[in-house]
Amino acid sequence: MSDDVRYPSEKPEHPYFDSSFSGMLLGTLVSRFCGGCGYGSIGQLYTRVFEDEKLDPKLYPLVIGIGCYSQIFFLVHKNAQKMLTLHGRAPAVATGMKMANPKMKPIIFSGDGDCLGIGGNHFIHLCRRNLDCILFIFNNSIYGMTGGQAAPTTLYGAMSTTTPYKMFEPRSDGVELALAAGASYVARTTVAHPRTLMKYFKKALKHKGTSVIEVITPCVTYFGRKNLDNLGSKGEKGEIMDTGGKMFEWIKKNSIHINQAKFMSKEELFNKYIIGEFRYDPSKSEYSEEYKKIQNIAMKGD
Amino acid sequence: MSNVNGKRFLKPGKYLMMGNVAMAEGALSSGLKFFGGYPITPSTEVIEHLAKRLPEVGGCCMQMEDELASINAVMGASLVGAKAMTATSGPGLSLMTETISMAANIEIPFVFCDVQRCGPGTGFVTVPHHNDIGLTRFAGNGEFEVIAFAPMSCQELFDLTITAFNYAETYRCPIFILSDAYLGHIHEVVNIPPKEEILKRVIDRTIPKDTKGAKFTYEDIKTHKLTIPKPYIVGTEFCPPLIIHLPHNQDGILMPEENSLRFMKIMIDKIRDNIDKISLTEEYKLDDAEIIIISYGLPVRASYRAVDLARKKGIKVGIFRLITVWPFPKEKVKQVVAGAKAIIVPEMNYTGVIAEQVERVTDLNIPVIKVPKVATLHHPDDILKAIEEVAK
Ligand SMILES: Cc1ncc(C[n+]2csc(CCOP(=O)(O)OP(=O)(O)O)c2C)c(N)n1
Ligand code: SF4
Ligand SMILES: [Mg+2]
Repeated sequence: MSDDVRYPSEKPEHPYFDSSFSGMLLGTLVSRFCGGCGYGSIGQLYTRVFEDEKLDPKLYPLVIGIGCYSQIFFLVHKNAQKMLTLHGRAPAVATGMKMANPKMKPIIFSGDGDCLGIGGNHFIHLCRRNLDCILFIFNNSIYGMTGGQAAPTTLYGAMSTTTPYKMFEPRSDGVELALAAGASYVARTTVAHPRTLMKYFKKALKHKGTSVIEVITPCVTYFGRKNLDNLGSKGEKGEIMDTGGKMFEWIKKNSIHINQAKFMSKEELFNKYIIGEFRYDPSKSEYSEEYKKIQNIAMKGD
Repeated sequence: MSNVNGKRFLKPGKYLMMGNVAMAEGALSSGLKFFGGYPITPSTEVIEHLAKRLPEVGGCCMQMEDELASINAVMGASLVGAKAMTATSGPGLSLMTETISMAANIEIPFVFCDVQRCGPGTGFVTVPHHNDIGLTRFAGNGEFEVIAFAPMSCQELFDLTITAFNYAETYRCPIFILSDAYLGHIHEVVNIPPKEEILKRVIDRTIPKDTKGAKFTYEDIKTHKLTIPKPYIVGTEFCPPLIIHLPHNQDGILMPEENSLRFMKIMIDKIRDNIDKISLTEEYKLDDAEIIIISYGLPVRASYRAVDLARKKGIKVGIFRLITVWPFPKEKVKQVVAGAKAIIVPEMNYTGVIAEQVERVTDLNIPVIKVPKVATLHHPDDILKAIEEVAK
């Protein structure tokens, strides 16, 4: 294939250019992410859904935790009311927002370190209360922002700056945690499955209760560049994942659909991501609605 | 309480009330809509009382998973326009400082009640110790100013809480009510004024009628004239497109590095420039006083008695009381103590946090005498002894 065909000089119009915050603010799409990072795609997908579903910005505040993905505010919809919170605390902030204005449905962006590390407690209790909101966990298997330290989600055998010999701790699984804690819609997908991601997002928008969507996303700079796609397991020929393309391939290869996973052994699923929908329970009582009942009891009292 | 009636305002009249409850009722009168807390002695009665009262007024009281969650939920509630507060004690306040610092940056108003107990560490949980005075002043990373009230009776807990909420709306900085294990737990008569009177005092959270072109922070950065605008509200038109706790400008957009100093100045000077309006003090028999007692909180009550006793003995002594401890009214204290023979600072802590502030602004030849008490109250005799000592 000639370069002309591969990289046509006339770029197609970006259909959501005008909708993005950076498009509006700076007249150009700005991304502060590394080449090959998955967060850019996530930001664009969010903007697409926001625009297509005509979400009312007053009802869907975007609460962002701290990590590389915090910079996603450049790419998300210009009208979205977005706020950066503290490392790990976004679910708690969203809880206060929702309870002070129950008409809202906060959308929370958090990372694997943010949500399952420092903010683990808030995450568990958000799910337990089944508060009406959408929580995205961006799992890149690493602490990207601080320069590539191990996250609670880092896969076994992986290299990171704080596991210079190899990751030896068992990993925590956001989906399992969300299920055990009581979230009513739980799903996992990857950046390599953008349509599925949008589908889950739209479903979560219509769902009343806590929706937890974990998104497997590549960190080329601090995970891919330092790791082989076999994560150091012996007997397999590994290749270093130093480009976005290689990481996308690896993510696809390493993700097993839930229906297929049912027929696989524990050993076969070791270090793999199971993707799909794990729970959808619209019947579960939602916190702000339950609190409304308490208010009614209290107001009737003497 | 029998007279509650599911209303925001208690029926006017006299009530026998616990300090913690009086504080909570003051908050409700101010229009409190959200409370997030985590049980901790000696502040627990606040969350217990509000768990019953807040749903009655259509508000929400949440017992969160920890203090980190409490303060962040309170910040979230305030972001969407609810008057919000939390109550805790020293160990809880330590956990909250990260968020207090963030709130100071994005200038989100809310009120903290710190019912202080004896520390450090877990300490003695049911006795008072004004040991968070310093912590509240520097309650978080970064530079920012705070306002802290030091009530000394249940009536003041009610009244000053209303003032505290008004200050939060006006100055948009962290606001503390410094209570303690005894003040929070004593029962005293509280006089609840009629609803109309309270409403006249309360500043509500409103948004400008015309939100187009409305500024979210300061009018004029260039001339450095600070007019502190109303806090923005998420979920309304009056909200910047991005709320970010970095140095930012009117629209919530990042300022380049060279402007960070300017941002810092705004954050700090909005309080310092208004210190005369913010700082609340009280004077007792100061006119001819040669010996001056400077104090705050419960020790002031013992000081009144000590001054009366000393006056009977012919000693010229008076009290300068700090109702707001922070910001420290440097200039006012300077004026008051000029030419004094001695200054006595009874404090319920050993280091004398405020005594050190006083030392900072007084002439070296005026002795500043500390009268420390920890885990118990001052007896008027303790202070009288100190007065007689310097009067000799
Ligand atoms: C209280 C606190 N501790 C530590 C940090 C430093 N910190 C910032 S981001 C981050 C890790 C973020 O990791 P993750 O949530 O996985 O996001 P990623 O960068 O991978 O997108 C850390 C430790 C912080 N900002 N605040
Ligand atoms: S460090 Fe990793 S997560 Fe962060 S922007 Fe770069 S690729 Fe993305
Ligand atoms: Mg990460």
